[in-house]
Amino acid sequence: MPYLGSEDVVKELKKALCNPHIQADRLRYRNVIQRVIRYMTQGLDMSGVFMEMVKASATVDIVQKKLVYLYMCTYAPLKPDLALLAINTLCKDCSDPNPMVRGLALRSMCSLRMPGVQEYIQQPILNGLRDKASYVRRVAVLGCAKMHNLHGDSEVDGALVNELYSLLRDQDPIVVVNCLRSLEEILKLEGGVVINKPIAHHLLNRMSKLDQWGQAEVLNFLLRYQPRSEEELFDILNLLDSFLKSSSPGVVMGATKLFLILAKKFPHVQTDVLVRVKGPLLAACSSESRELCFVALCHVRQILHSLPGHFSSHYKKFFCSYSEPHYIKLQKVEVLCELVNDENVQQVLEELRGYCTDVSADFAQSAIFAIGGIARTYTDQCVQILTELLGLRQEHITTVVVQTFRDLVWLCPQCTEAVCQALPGCEENIQDSEGKQALIWLLGVHGERIPNAPYVLEDFVENVKSETFPAVKMELLTALLRLFLSRPAECQDMLGRLLYYCIEEEKDMAVRDRGLFYYRLLLVGIDEVKRILCSPKSDPTLGLLEDPAERPVNSWASDFNTLVPVYGKAHWATISKCQGAERCGPELPKTSSFAASGPLIPEDNKEREQELPDSGALMLVPNRQLTADYFEKTWLSLKVAHQQVLPWRGEFHPDTLQMALQVVNIQTIAMSRAGTRPWKAYLSAQDDTGCLFLTELLLEPENSEMQISVKQNEARTETLNSFISVLETVIGTIEEIKS
Amino acid sequence: MIGGLFIYNHKGEVLISRVYRDDIGRNAVDAFRVNVIHARQQVRSPVTNIARTSFFHVKRSNIWLAAVTKQNVNAAMVFEFLYKMCDVMAAYFGKISEENIKNNFVLIYELLDEILDFGYPQNSETGALKTFITQQGIKSQHTKEEQSQITSQVTGQIGWRREGIKYRRNELFLDVLESVNLLMSPQGQVLSAHVSGRVVMKSYLSGMPECKFGMNDKIVIEKQGKGTADETSKSGKQSIAIDDCTFHQCVRLSKFDSERSISFIPPDGEFELMRYRTTKDIILPFRVIPLVREVGRTKLEVKVVIKSNFKPSLLAQKIEVRIPTPLNTSGVQVICMKGKAKYKASENAIVWKIKRMAGMKESQISAEIELLPTNDKKKWARPPISMNFEVPFAPSGLKVRYLKVFEPKLNYSDHDVIKWVRYIGRSGIYETRC
Repeated sequence: MPYLGSEDVVKELKKALCNPHIQADRLRYRNVIQRVIRYMTQGLDMSGVFMEMVKASATVDIVQKKLVYLYMCTYAPLKPDLALLAINTLCKDCSDPNPMVRGLALRSMCSLRMPGVQEYIQQPILNGLRDKASYVRRVAVLGCAKMHNLHGDSEVDGALVNELYSLLRDQDPIVVVNCLRSLEEILKLEGGVVINKPIAHHLLNRMSKLDQWGQAEVLNFLLRYQPRSEEELFDILNLLDSFLKSSSPGVVMGATKLFLILAKKFPHVQTDVLVRVKGPLLAACSSESRELCFVALCHVRQILHSLPGHFSSHYKKFFCSYSEPHYIKLQKVEVLCELVNDENVQQVLEELRGYCTDVSADFAQSAIFAIGGIARTYTDQCVQILTELLGLRQEHITTVVVQTFRDLVWLCPQCTEAVCQALPGCEENIQDSEGKQALIWLLGVHGERIPNAPYVLEDFVENVKSETFPAVKMELLTALLRLFLSRPAECQDMLGRLLYYCIEEEKDMAVRDRGLFYYRLLLVGIDEVKRILCSPKSDPTLGLLEDPAERPVNSWASDFNTLVPVYGKAHWATISKCQGAERCGPELPKTSSFAASGPLIPEDNKEREQELPDSGALMLVPNRQLTADYFEKTWLSLKVAHQQVLPWRGEFHPDTLQMALQVVNIQTIAMSRAGTRPWKAYLSAQDDTGCLFLTELLLEPENSEMQISVKQNEARTETLNSFISVLETVIGTIEEIKS
Repeated sequence: MIGGLFIYNHKGEVLISRVYRDDIGRNAVDAFRVNVIHARQQVRSPVTNIARTSFFHVKRSNIWLAAVTKQNVNAAMVFEFLYKMCDVMAAYFGKISEENIKNNFVLIYELLDEILDFGYPQNSETGALKTFITQQGIKSQHTKEEQSQITSQVTGQIGWRREGIKYRRNELFLDVLESVNLLMSPQGQVLSAHVSGRVVMKSYLSGMPECKFGMNDKIVIEKQGKGTADETSKSGKQSIAIDDCTFHQCVRLSKFDSERSISFIPPDGEFELMRYRTTKDIILPFRVIPLVREVGRTKLEVKVVIKSNFKPSLLAQKIEVRIPTPLNTSGVQVICMKGKAKYKASENAIVWKIKRMAGMKESQISAEIELLPTNDKKKWARPPISMNFEVPFAPSGLKVRYLKVFEPKLNYSDHDVIKWVRYIGRSGIYETRC
């Protein structure tokens, strides 16, 4: 990103670097180089001084060398031809007597991300692998992986791989771990490094010599190993026992994961392990390193999914403290919600109630939702607390409480009575869309038990013009229609007003359509309305089935100690799905949604793929206009597949019919003028499989009937029947509107 | 595996940026600044996913350190690495501040070069790193001795200590650093309390010394006291129950498990020997007794008594009590017996500072808070009263019983080593609800 004035800066630095006086003075020379690096860090394009920097690499000053190498690694891809000039110096440094210089040169050379460098680095790497200084060997081993990356996943060099496998026996622990890492990258396409029995046992024996990074890495690689016998399995577990108590939480988590995976056939061992890491996990949860604490809490939640009682006796550890950061508090509330049992429910609810009045609205709301979650088991206590919260008359509290009530009434119908008593009066304190929707829904569904329900809804109807959220208006329509069924006298007038507003004045199409739909539904008759609006609800217990109380440990063991528990499974699925799509090629359309990703993700592609309809249903394709000629030809060539007579009374407006048919994707090819007797019309439609329906309508007002003849180009009775029923519905509706 | 490491100041300007893998581009630097540092709302998580790239960040004063990766890594490990990075930097140039980072930016690049290679953590022990990082530079030709050190350092058995260290004076410093955390209900009931402690050792010892560390751990004392019943009962009172403890890599864990003895060859210089946590029999150095009375709608009377609860001969320092006040406070009158109290409108709190306070004393503050009448019906949430202090003892009750040094090859014995032990108890989150 070229910043303003960067050209001048480059010019000035170039001059300084060329100045022989500065070159002679080491400190001044180094200072100029430092300035170059500083600008580079800030994002200025410094590739203009590449030539001068290459010259500066020929020095005995190690710090200067390091800086120049850093510079070269950044800009080498931009100036590959100039970078080749530096190779000479680097190669010379690779045989320096000082191991540090050798290592540095080799590392930098391997990091020059530019094409054509491979042929120069191959030999130094091979020499490096056999260097007597372990420092150089470490660098060389990783250099192999870098070289492979430059090649771009081409063929694997078998000799090199063998050399690396043999270096797994190196004395230096870091060389060993680097070998594993390097092999893993080189053999990525073949499934990574192979951990067989000798290697696994060798690594196990070296474990205690490694530092924490090495230990974590090796534990991760050992996941791949399958012990031959039960005996071997338990030997390994014994060897690794001490790592469950390591000072590094990362190693503890890694060891836990390994235990869980290795012992996947021994549930009691798994449980035992989870009991033993309780201490270290709790320690991490109360540690001062907040980020680590956050990660630990995420994993505690994961464990709680399988073992709900696991941390119950330590519930006080998850009480929030005032000064903790937001993200820890939210996690703790979630944890508290999950470890509730008969003994601690009182204290936990007491604590959660305290959070509900927190200054941070976000935190308060999550605490209320948590109480709602607990209410599924301990309904009475929770409803009481929630009701008390309504008394505070706080906007942000009331809206969440009402939303919680809505979910609760659905899941635990036994609390309906209590909720209905609590509701009156809270409409004054709700301003946001979600809260209003919840309240309106409750009033609609349980309105017969809330005395003032119609009057509350009336307020909403009166202010509907100034309502900004279409979702609220839709909810209002449904609720009022429902309430109308149980209390018709009080609602009829305002329902009329609302329908009139929605159909005549509303701008939002969805609301208008819903209004029209209800209007027509009412025309069909009150019984039909009842049948549709008060149809049997889905089983409330189904919602609970979605998150089963206990998940087996094995279902998440492989996700333990990765990013999955941190992001949550759903979010991670969307992330990794996109990554998969990216790998397949960026031109692939991304159909996934970012629903769970939160506001931080730039949502460039939100489109959802439309769900394909069931194959049995009829799907008429819009805008399939046939020419009159083609229609005539086809019409004459086909036989009548179906003929039917519908009753028709009263006046007739062809335009209305045409419009109505258009809505259901039936096109009018030709029709007689209004008033002609007998009146005739020819219609056509096509479904998604390509089947054509050609129709003739014949209206004879004298007989008060309409004759329909349908022809089909493929004989399929199933779709024919559904087509006819569509046609009947349209004509039926039009007729009723007229009468 | 870490793809890149960035350091920003509070404005979001990049101070250090080091990229290790090709899949992390320059735009990642800007993505983090825009989405996290400049974000309007509070930080929602220390792990952020922006365009399928994970950003792990920690904050030190107003400096942001972010590690970036596209892989599914172990979150705990990445954070540990960032902490380690902070420790190493602090060991080289002290406090992590914008100024220090700007002044030492060459050094930081050098460190980043050594600690991570291709995104994989390499050697991160401060002591061992010192051989590779040449702050003074200018000399390429190392002496023979130094060169052999680099080679021997890894061919030897232990990675954390090099051979051939010599000191004229053999000296060691032990610091027992504890932070005591408390959450107390208004009625004076302890909701939760725990001490997390660290034993930090600074060793300046020659050769390859073998050290043995002993403390008043309940299990050890009971084990030793089996023979003499008297001793058990006598020392039983002073022994403490450690909930869990972890050790530096150098401690031989097998010996700890079998004999509960802590023996090790220490790294040179400063390191954290042990980390532990206790929850039982904690000495709470201070008790806070709050009394809040609402007089009408525009006045609030607050009285807070603090009692020190330790030996009268000891002195607590840097005591600070923070009493939150409502948002609509218009004026505050404070009277305190000791120290200085001030109402800080910007922080919405009365801050009461006492320089020193001896044990078994008590002091009180009373304040009258005038409130502006508001039509906001929102009730004041009453945040807890928090406290900061430093005491010269370990609130967990931990005592160092001995630290013995054996160096069989060189001729100095345990008696010749000068040893220093210091206990510091600090407040962690020390809150009393009111």
